[in-house]
Amino acid sequence: MPAPLSRSPLTITLAVWKALLLREALSRLFGRRAAWFWLLLEPVFHVAYLMVIFAVIRVRHVGGIATPLWLMVGLLAYFMFQRASRQAMNAVGSNQALFVYRQVLPVDTVLVRAGLEGAVMVVVTMLMLAGGALFGLRVVPADPLLVLGALAGMWLLGLGLGLCSSVVAELSPEGGRLLLMLMRPLYMLSGVVFPIAMVPQPYRDWLALNPLVHGLDAVRLGFAPYYHEIPGLDLGYLYEWAMVLVLLGLMLQVALARRMVMQ
Amino acid sequence: MIVVRDVYKRYQTDHGPGPWVLKGIDLVIPPRTNVGLIGRNGAGKSTLLHLIGGIDQPTRGHIERLCRVSWPMGRGGGLQNTLTGRQNARFVCRIHGHENDMADRIEEIREFAALGRMFDEPVKTYSAGMKSRLQFALSLAFDFDVYISDEVTAAGDAAFRNKAQKAFRRLIDRAGLIMVSHGEETLKQFCTAGILLHEGRAQWFDDIEDALAAYKESLQA
Repeated sequence: MPAPLSRSPLTITLAVWKALLLREALSRLFGRRAAWFWLLLEPVFHVAYLMVIFAVIRVRHVGGIATPLWLMVGLLAYFMFQRASRQAMNAVGSNQALFVYRQVLPVDTVLVRAGLEGAVMVVVTMLMLAGGALFGLRVVPADPLLVLGALAGMWLLGLGLGLCSSVVAELSPEGGRLLLMLMRPLYMLSGVVFPIAMVPQPYRDWLALNPLVHGLDAVRLGFAPYYHEIPGLDLGYLYEWAMVLVLLGLMLQVALARRMVMQ
Repeated sequence: MIVVRDVYKRYQTDHGPGPWVLKGIDLVIPPRTNVGLIGRNGAGKSTLLHLIGGIDQPTRGHIERLCRVSWPMGRGGGLQNTLTGRQNARFVCRIHGHENDMADRIEEIREFAALGRMFDEPVKTYSAGMKSRLQFALSLAFDFDVYISDEVTAAGDAAFRNKAQKAFRRLIDRAGLIMVSHGEETLKQFCTAGILLHEGRAQWFDDIEDALAAYKESLQA
């Protein structure tokens, strides 16, 4: 049974993606003991302790919607971005052994990891919303398309950042560490734990330069149309950032693929 | 057939571009030829193998692979530590487009590697010998026209080595081989032709004995 003499580049790429996806899914879900359980537990705990804090300071509503829903939805949207970008950033380093096969390129590992993480987060989101419904939260979105569009935008931004940062982290470990340090305040600046809409001017406009703010508030607005979102909410702005980062990332990947493999 | 045309290669170091490793290599490797690649440490043997294997690109010049060329075998690469032997084997089958007859090939690999139930344990629990047995079994499971090997034959214990050498023999009777080895006996056993790498340039010898003689001469010079 002779191997196909020449496969088209597309066939090869698809075969590589499939193989990588199965390989990544195995280690992500079963790599450590009950790894799949921790994937879910982490956001659950995160929401839970934020809810405790908000209960202690007696904030029942934020921007017109119930605090638990506001927190949960915003955090899930943020995780969609953060986990995708974090996983993608480490993709090249963790798959170094596989670049002996010339069919496998660094960019393949980044794309597959971000894709897998997006799928994982969709499942986590559904499960957490179902859990919220058990506690009497109104978890059915009023505008499902807006929610999906915003979540997709957050994922795309994560992918774009992951494409860029995986190159930086692989070629200069110091750069990677610096990037992680710079990203840390994003959690505070994205409006996960406090409503950006309540920040006084001119600081609010400055914070609104962060595309994550738009994604987060769009998701919340999709769940509850009476939510007081930040003025000038613009999902297109999130997508512009995402597209620029994705394009830049792909260019970096093409230009520097060789140097990431051989060191 | 593999054509190497005017290939230059240097690596980036932390202090800018490094010295030239290969300085204008011109080679035509005919089909079904067994070639030994020799040269002193750092002469660029592994570099040339990587370039021929397509996992790295030359800085200048180009390489044409007009046949199916294997990945560079040996040196511990190509195995993911967190996955089991079987999962690794599946991965390699998939990227080489053998989704349809995967079961047969996995069986073949399992049998040849003879790892017993360790085949279903993560590779990180393997000993060095077990790893190279798996790698060797993997490389035998696919039909390539040219195999490239970086010190691959010296794997495992005596019994396995015996089996591996026989299989290797059969393999190179039907396909070409480009191998790097420091063992003179290994080279004489498997190769007919030779390439001597010296100071960034390559010299072709139709007879491996001549290549080895020239190599020894270059060491004294």
